[in-house]
Amino acid sequence: MRWRRLLVCFWLVLCGPVLAHKASDSYLVIDVQGAQVSGQWDIALRDIDFALGLDTDGNGEITWGELRARHDAVAAWAFNALTLERGGACPLQVTQHQVDEHTDGTYAVLKFVATCPASSGDVALDYRLLFDLDGLHRGLLRLDIDGLTHSSVIAPDSRRQTFSGESVSRWTQLQQFMEQGVWHIWIGFDHILFLLSLLLPVVLVRVNGAWRGVDRMGESVREVLWVVTSFTVAHSITLSLAAMGFISLPSRLVESAIALSVVVAAFNNIVPMFNRLRWLVAFGFGLIHGFGFASVLAELGLPQDALVLSLVGFNLGVEAGQLAIVVALLPVIYWLRNTAFYRRGILVGGSLLIMLLALVWLAERAFDTKLVST
Amino acid sequence: MYCNTQRLLWRNLLTQCRGFCVLTGLILALNVQAAPRTPASDTEVLEKLPTRAGDNTARELSSLRAALVQAPTDEVRAIELVTRYFDLAMARGDPRYIGYADAVVQRFPATRSAPLLTLRGMLRQYRHDFASALKDFDAALKQDPSQADAYAWRGAIFLVKADYAAAQQACDGLQRLGRDVLAGGCLGLTQAYSGQLDAGYKTLQKTLDQAGFPDNQLWLLTRLGEVAAWRGEPAQAEVHYRAALALGRDDVYLLAAWADFLLDAGQPAEVVKWLQSWESADGLLLRLAEAETTLQLPDAARHRQMLADRFVAARARGDTTHRAEEARFELRLRQDTKTALRLAAENYAVQREPRDARILLEAALAAQDTASAQPVRDWLRSSGFEDTRTRRLGQTSANSTKTGSTR
Repeated sequence: MRWRRLLVCFWLVLCGPVLAHKASDSYLVIDVQGAQVSGQWDIALRDIDFALGLDTDGNGEITWGELRARHDAVAAWAFNALTLERGGACPLQVTQHQVDEHTDGTYAVLKFVATCPASSGDVALDYRLLFDLDGLHRGLLRLDIDGLTHSSVIAPDSRRQTFSGESVSRWTQLQQFMEQGVWHIWIGFDHILFLLSLLLPVVLVRVNGAWRGVDRMGESVREVLWVVTSFTVAHSITLSLAAMGFISLPSRLVESAIALSVVVAAFNNIVPMFNRLRWLVAFGFGLIHGFGFASVLAELGLPQDALVLSLVGFNLGVEAGQLAIVVALLPVIYWLRNTAFYRRGILVGGSLLIMLLALVWLAERAFDTKLVST
Repeated sequence: MYCNTQRLLWRNLLTQCRGFCVLTGLILALNVQAAPRTPASDTEVLEKLPTRAGDNTARELSSLRAALVQAPTDEVRAIELVTRYFDLAMARGDPRYIGYADAVVQRFPATRSAPLLTLRGMLRQYRHDFASALKDFDAALKQDPSQADAYAWRGAIFLVKADYAAAQQACDGLQRLGRDVLAGGCLGLTQAYSGQLDAGYKTLQKTLDQAGFPDNQLWLLTRLGEVAAWRGEPAQAEVHYRAALALGRDDVYLLAAWADFLLDAGQPAEVVKWLQSWESADGLLLRLAEAETTLQLPDAARHRQMLADRFVAARARGDTTHRAEEARFELRLRQDTKTALRLAAENYAVQREPRDARILLEAALAAQDTASAQPVRDWLRSSGFEDTRTRRLGQTSANSTKTGSTR
């Protein structure tokens, strides 16, 4: 063995830990809300076996029965190696023992709760699990303090860590939600296509059943303002109502209706129906789009203490995103308005494409199927 | 629903871009876990341990541990246990044993024992902390100039760092100690890496004739296979590999080299045959997945996903020792040339072996960013490394860099 090790070094050094298995990690997720703590700690059965010995019958296999018999010992050992403090120690209590699979095998899952002496201020964590037995062990921590997420890899030389309990500044929070709003309008193709369909005809007027380019940019700008403002007012109303929990609609219905709104708006460019009443369409369907935004906001996790702030931030972001699209789009379509390319190719052809795409969405969302992969 | 998932995906991307979270990898790893469950029956087997309580290894380990518990400050007992752990880690490719060994070594921070210092260096090189490892080997040799292991590991590290003059000195040290097989292996590789493939081949061949133990033969045959392939003699390489395989010992490194040879030779079906039962070893799983992807076998997708999960898990703990393999995974199995190039370049800043050079060249060519491969072209020029394939890659990347700059 020894000789082999010596020679093999000329090969191994390069490969590093090639393998099968990975070094030891535990996964620790803690949620601190004021003085209340809840959490989950996943520790590899192999590691527990190495520290405590789980394989009672010595057959090289750990069964649920063997683990269950040692639950108290496992909890005592684990929580003896973890200290959580907020204004003093928060005594950790296990509430449930389960198991889970990670890439390198089965882990014991310890769910726990605690109550801290203080409900605000910094949170300190002292993690000592397995460091005396395994120098490569790491604690992979995700710690939520009053809605703000911290993450850290805890190593033997960083076993004690303190996390700021100060909530994010209001300004930063507002900024973050604004960014999310902008981002969402840019990547939410259904919202963009709806807006685009309503905006394409603003550089034209309908005279005797035919399109004619507007004379002045001002006319188009006024039309744009009407459409965008109606859309904004409408989706702000439903977004706020939904975010505050007054109304809630099934997501399938909302998503289907949004797809339908795109179909209608695009069809209106091919066979004009609303003409100068486009702002009304924008308002009506804007109410639906608001519910769509609300579901995104819900996924982001609304801080309850800053509900209004985040709503305002997100809305402002959505407006800014829309505005950017309008500013980029309007001069171009104004410039092209008198060409046949614009009237046939862009307005009719483009709307046709948008409508087809939206029809596919509509079918997919309404029947919960997948027609084309995206 | 489908729309929400899509948004969620985009939002994750945003999170990464904007740096809202310090360690998105960690968050991902923490989220990847499936839902915890409560097993239905007490008899359900949750985990199979690597050492069965009854087998020799387990008995041996527990007696070594018990001996150390009785005399916690006894360096000799610590050395025995650490050595055993390290051997196990090498044989089974299981880094947990490295962690156990590390914890024992850490109890002796001020040690002056040459073997213990050498072991500490070995554990540090395992984590690619080459600078600290070299310091340990130096300290060990100061305490005991006849510490052959320390020389051998110094040689190995300098080969990885492409410092062939320093590697040569380590080989000389082994020669002075009369450790002919070690010295021959060290010298043969140094020659092969530094533009003397023929001389290196001869040295390794001569060393093989002296090597008595099958383990040494296996290792030397494997390296001879590699060198023969670099010399453009695939038939000869195959003879060496087959001789090594015929020794009938499981060896992850031999299988990896053999699989690479077969992949280069366009024989992916052979790779699947040899590696089918090796999916637990990341390095071999990578080669298996490459072969299966080429052959469009049904298992390919599952194996690619397994690899992806393992790389995420490694990244979450801040482990960067897999970058060369991850680069290959991104390049050949995910066609993400940008990520592949970044990983290959980061890897090449630490490890500069022929295989590291090759993946960087390949990634740079695929990403059409041949300027990033400049360090490899510099190495090819200064070392004179003679493998035709690598030189051709280097030439292609040099040409496209020139065309790029004149355009």
